[in-house]
This record gives sequence, structure tokens and C-alpha cells, in this order.
Amino acid sequence: MLARVAENVYWMGRYLERMDDTARLINATTHMLIDSHEDTRFSWPVLIDVLGEDAKGFIQEGSSSELGVMHYLIVAEDSTASIRHACSQVRTNARCVREVIPREFWEEINSLHLFVQSECKLASNRAKRYNLMAEVIRRCQAVIGVMDGTMLRDDTYGLFNIGRHLERADMTTRIMDVLILQQLAPAAGRQTRRQFEWSSLLNAMGAVESYRRYYTEEPGETDVTDFLLTYGPFPRSVASCLEKIERSARWLPRSESVLKTIGNIRNALDSEPLHSLNTLGMHKLIDDVQAGLIDLHGALMSESLQAPAA
Amino acid sequence: MSDVIALDPYRPYPDCYDELVDTNGVARPQALAVARFIMQNGAEELARRQAELDRTISAMGVSFTVYSDSQNIDRAWPLDVVPRTIAASDWQRTSDGLKQRLQALNLFINDLYNDQKILKDGIVPSELVLKSKNFLAPCQGFEPAYGVWANICGTDLVRDGEGNFLVLEDNLRVPSGVSYMLENRTVMKRVFPELFAESTIGPVDDYPAQLWNMLASLSPQDAETPRVVVLTPGIYNSAYFEHSFLAQQMGCPLAENNDLYVDDDVVYLRTLHGPQRVDVIYRRIDDTFIDPQVFRKDSALGIPGLIGAWRAGNVAIANAPGSGVADDKVVYAFVPEIIRYYLKQDPLIDNVPTYLCMDDKERDHVLANLDKLVVKPANESGGYGILIGPRATDEERAQCAAAIRENPRNFIAQPTLNLSTAPTLCDGLLEPRHLDLRPFILQGESLYCTNGGLSRVALRRGSLVVNSSQGGGSKDTWIINHGS
Repeated sequence: MLARVAENVYWMGRYLERMDDTARLINATTHMLIDSHEDTRFSWPVLIDVLGEDAKGFIQEGSSSELGVMHYLIVAEDSTASIRHACSQVRTNARCVREVIPREFWEEINSLHLFVQSECKLASNRAKRYNLMAEVIRRCQAVIGVMDGTMLRDDTYGLFNIGRHLERADMTTRIMDVLILQQLAPAAGRQTRRQFEWSSLLNAMGAVESYRRYYTEEPGETDVTDFLLTYGPFPRSVASCLEKIERSARWLPRSESVLKTIGNIRNALDSEPLHSLNTLGMHKLIDDVQAGLIDLHGALMSESLQAPAA
Repeated sequence: MSDVIALDPYRPYPDCYDELVDTNGVARPQALAVARFIMQNGAEELARRQAELDRTISAMGVSFTVYSDSQNIDRAWPLDVVPRTIAASDWQRTSDGLKQRLQALNLFINDLYNDQKILKDGIVPSELVLKSKNFLAPCQGFEPAYGVWANICGTDLVRDGEGNFLVLEDNLRVPSGVSYMLENRTVMKRVFPELFAESTIGPVDDYPAQLWNMLASLSPQDAETPRVVVLTPGIYNSAYFEHSFLAQQMGCPLAENNDLYVDDDVVYLRTLHGPQRVDVIYRRIDDTFIDPQVFRKDSALGIPGLIGAWRAGNVAIANAPGSGVADDKVVYAFVPEIIRYYLKQDPLIDNVPTYLCMDDKERDHVLANLDKLVVKPANESGGYGILIGPRATDEERAQCAAAIRENPRNFIAQPTLNLSTAPTLCDGLLEPRHLDLRPFILQGESLYCTNGGLSRVALRRGSLVVNSSQGGGSKDTWIINHGS
């Protein structure tokens, strides 16, 4: 595989996952607000905290309107946090690597792009938005399904997977971080973490039922944070993402730094029992994991994806 | 035959050959199935299928790029719902003629860069070739594999009033369009599955495999699977869709210039796993841009040292640099003589009658008849710079006359042709529209010609301009074997 193409494939995976996760988060948040309790401090701008670093300029100072936030997260093409932007990036990167992907895969991405361009034009009301986000999620999954059924298990597949799972791990930690900060008082104990806010978080990851089973079947003192950070069988947990990245990275050239960084993140997660951490400790841990993911991206870019000098 | 189907109310133009119906509007034998479908289902159904076809094209991401279009770099590819049908018996002779022509042109190019016998024998004027900007001196004294320079040729054909195929021009540099021929067929199969079940339509989908086999046959190495790459100027090129499509369909890397480098006269591809030796380059970059050390120093698209590696016999380049010397509208006029000279055969397909402005007598004739002729610059492609005399203004004709007098070598003229037509869906109705045909011919170890080719259609009534960059559309082309 060409070094130039490798980077495109990686970003294609990242942006596709970002679209999927953003749509899930929007729907989960909407649901939570529908049945929110009076004492919740959750509000729309929280989503900006999760997803956006460049929200200023898009959202008016002090404005917390639902439509404003949705415009920023779904419609605004120049917002790097928007679904439309992510989708354009998926298509642009796919266009640059068409020669290494099967026709069906390309067509699925292309039709996803056409759909998003024509449907994600206005920040609409909640009912329409729910269906729209559900359709975006479904179409993202269709892309993954076609890829799974048609693509050679080669460098392209590996890098696409690394991109997807790095983005997914990042998104899982972002969501946890904000919810922890927003929702839990420093003294909040184990029980609180199982309150409804967490179930909306689980909902965003399609994890409500899986968590139920985990909670009733796994022995020991574990909770949602264990489930989302360290529980390998759950495909959106950080541990599961790391495992998939590691499996693909083994085949890459110059992957020592990448593999070492994965080890560092694992060590951070294993250092103490998660349920014993208070909110600040949890926040610090998640910061460490996020820093590790940034290192992982850096190692990939500066070593594995650089063509060796001739 | 009991099958007589009139395509009412469609009527062809009286002085043009219509591909689907005769002068009475009755379907030709090769068009029976299509005509039956139209008559049974009506124009409304056609319009519905056209809409479905447009949706399919956009879902498949079949697009082309227009340079001036800064906003929207990709435009959906225009394909008309009515296929063009050609009888297999007519096609066989045409296909043989195209192979004959490419064979002769390659002998000609090889001769020009080596012994120049044809110039010494006075068949083609020396100055015509040696002063041409397309004659690349650094290619002299070299002979590529099989002596073949133009490995991929796209020849533009038109049909005269009697339906005879004539060659309008040979594209020997980087001919494009074959991906649209292939995608048109894929789309039509999805939208008209019933017609494909009923007719025997010559398949086109072996082209990528034929192309790869031809390219592989050029490899200077003995390796069982030579490494073939497609070289593109990049994603902003107007034919990028085709470059990536062909690389995908052949299973080859698509390289930009920076993905390749030359070391000690060997070309390498920069891959994640280290350098990989390249055996064959299918270049989709103009030859004067491919090596800044030899040709244009300002080229940002080239690979320094590539010509050295090619001349050292370490890499094959298709089409070979310099093959454009035979892709010139003045040389074109000599092709029938070129065929006779090298092959000792008569041409199976004729040229369109052509006046050379470099010849005093012919120039006088052209200048006196500008209102009847089509004047073309010798070295442009894409339909640019053409004067269609009967439709030009006095001012345009005067400008053209001045340009001819200034540089006669640079112009040819041809009579305005009554290009053939085919029924085309225009605002819900079938109307005749003019079209041409670009088959693709391959020559490496052996010769191959596509089953039909890309039919381009002028969408404006009466217009003869078929180029997609200037508002033309396309049709799927069906070579029909309708029995004896």
C-alpha cells in the first residue's frame, strides 16, 4: 500500500466512526432530556463539550438553544464537529483511495454521502431528527457491513479498523468525561453511577442490554466505568478498541511505538480498581487515556505511516 | 420477417443515418428489441427509467470533472436512457479496421523515431513530422516492446449519411472515456434487466482484464506478475474518476508522481513496507510532463529520471512518450497512405475527407469555402478551437481565416458531416440527436478492440458538439448479434 493512501484510509475510518458516534450521542441526549429529572444539570451545550473544540463562532455566547446546538452538530459544514463535515471527509478520503476499496464499499459510502447532503440541511424538530439520526447510524453500519463482507484483510482493512477504533475509544472517553463532570457530585458513590444519566450514556452506545447482562452476571465490585473502560467483550469499551487496534497494528511496519503506547494506556487502566476512584480520580484517569490516544495517533502518523526513506 | 415495428411518432432527420430506424421510422433489425420495449411501454415509462438511471449513476458515484467548475468538482455523468444499437456484422469490419489502423500507426511512430524510411520515401513530408512539437527528440533511437508506442488508442468514429463508419480522429496520447463505457453498461444492466435477457448484446466488461494483460505483456522483467501502476496527475484532474476506476478494476496501485522515484535507472513505488520495483507504468499524464529532467522543467507532475529508466529498458511506459507525434490532425490526413505503405493493405475504414491548409491549393479552397467547412486546429483535443463554418459569424470566420494564413500548418478543414443520429429522450420525447463513437484499441503483444465503445451524443437539437465538457451526453452502445 502507498504511504499516501494509508493516511486517507485511516481518516476515512475515523470520520465514519465519528459520524456514527455523533448521531448516537444526539439521539441518546435527546431521550435523556425527554425524561429528565428536575435536578439534572444536563443541558444541550454539554454536547458541545463532548464533541466540539471550535464551537465558538457557531454558537452564540450564552446561547443554549437546542436548534443552535443541533445546527452546529449536524448541519454546519464548516463545523468540524458536524455530521455533514464528517461525512464529506469520509467521501473525500474514499475518493482518494477508490482503487484499494471494493466497488460495493465505494457505492455505499457514496450513497451515505448523498443522503447526508440532501437530508442534513436543516436542524429539524425532535421527531424528525430522531429518525434522521437513526438512518445515519443505519447507513454507517451498512458501510461497515459491506466492508466486512467484501474487503481483503490487508493493510487497507487494518488501517481502516485502526482509524475506526481509535475514534471510538476517543468518543467513549469523551462521553464519560463530560457526564462524570456534569452529573456526579464528588462524593457520589457507586450507586449514583448507575442512575438514569448513565443509562442514557449506555443508550448512546447501544449498550443498555449488554450492560444489564454484564451487571447481573459478572462477579465482583464493578460498575459502568469498568464496563466502558475495561470490559473486553463489549465492542465500544476502550479495552476492546485497544485490542482491535493492536491486532491490526501488528501487521504494520514500524509499529513498535504504536504497540508500546497501547501498553501504556492499558497500564493506566489497570493501575487501581476503578470503582474505588472518586470523581476527580476518574476524571484524571480518563484524561490519561485520552492523552494516550493522542500519542497513539502521533506514533502512527510519524512512524508507521511514513514511507521509509529510499 | 414478421417483425416490423415503427417507432412512431419518432422521425429521423432526412439526410442523416439513424442508428435505430430507417428513413421510414421502422426499426432496423438490430434495434427490434429496443423498439419493441419503447412501443410497449411508452415515453412515460422511458422517463421513469431515465430517472432511475440518473439515481443509479449518482449512487454509483459516476462523475466527471469540469475545470472551470470551481464550486462543484464532480458532476454526475450524463447517460441517455435509449441505447444505441449496432449490428455485429457492421461492427466486425469496423473493429478489424481499427486494429489495422493502430498497427500501421505504431509502425509509423517506430519508423519516425528510428529509420524514418517513410520520410525518405517521400510518403509523408519530413518537415511535417520533424518540426512538429509532438516529435520528441529524446525518444529517437529507442524501440519499446514489440515496437509498439501507442498501446492504448481511442479512435473517434462517425457515420456518414449512408451509415459508413469514418475515422474522425485518432487519440494516441492519453485517450479517456473507457470507464464511462464500462459504467454505462453497468447502469443499463441495473435499469433494463429485461432487455439484456432478450437480446444478445456483446459484453464490454473484459476491458480491465484485457488492459492489464496488455500492460503486463510490456514488462521488461520476467516476473510472473509484473508490478503495473496507473500514474495520475491527482484528484483534481478532469479524468481522475477514470484513473481511480481503472486502477480499482485492474487491482493496481494508483500513483501520483511523488509516490514514485527513480534510483539507478530503476523505478520504485513508495509503499508502507518500503520501496517496490515498478515494471510497467500506465501513465495518464501528458508525455511532456512526465520527466522534468528531459522535457518540461517546470512540470510539478513528473518523476525525475523516468525517461532514463525507460530508455535503459527497466520500465515500460504506456503510451510510450512521443507517441503523440501521430496524434495530429495533419498526420491524420496521411493515415490511409501510412496503412498502404506499412501493411500493403487498403484501409478498412476511411478518413473523413480532409483539406490540409499547409498545401497552397487546398488552403485556397478552404479560405474560399469557410462557410461550408469545419476548421480544426491540428493539436487540440476536447473539441476546443473548432470553427463550424456554416454556424459561425462573419467575424468568427474572418478571425479563423487570419489564423490559417498566420500558421497554415496548424489547421485542417473538413466538410460539415451529417453525423448519424439516434433517438434520445429530450424533455420526455424521443428526438434525433447526433452522436459519435469512441472505441478503444489495445496493442501490446496482441491486438484487441472493445465491443463498441463510448457513444457520445450532442444533447442540443442539431448540435454536433458531443464533448461532455461542452454539454454532451452519452449512450450505452450495444453490438447486437441478431442472427443471420
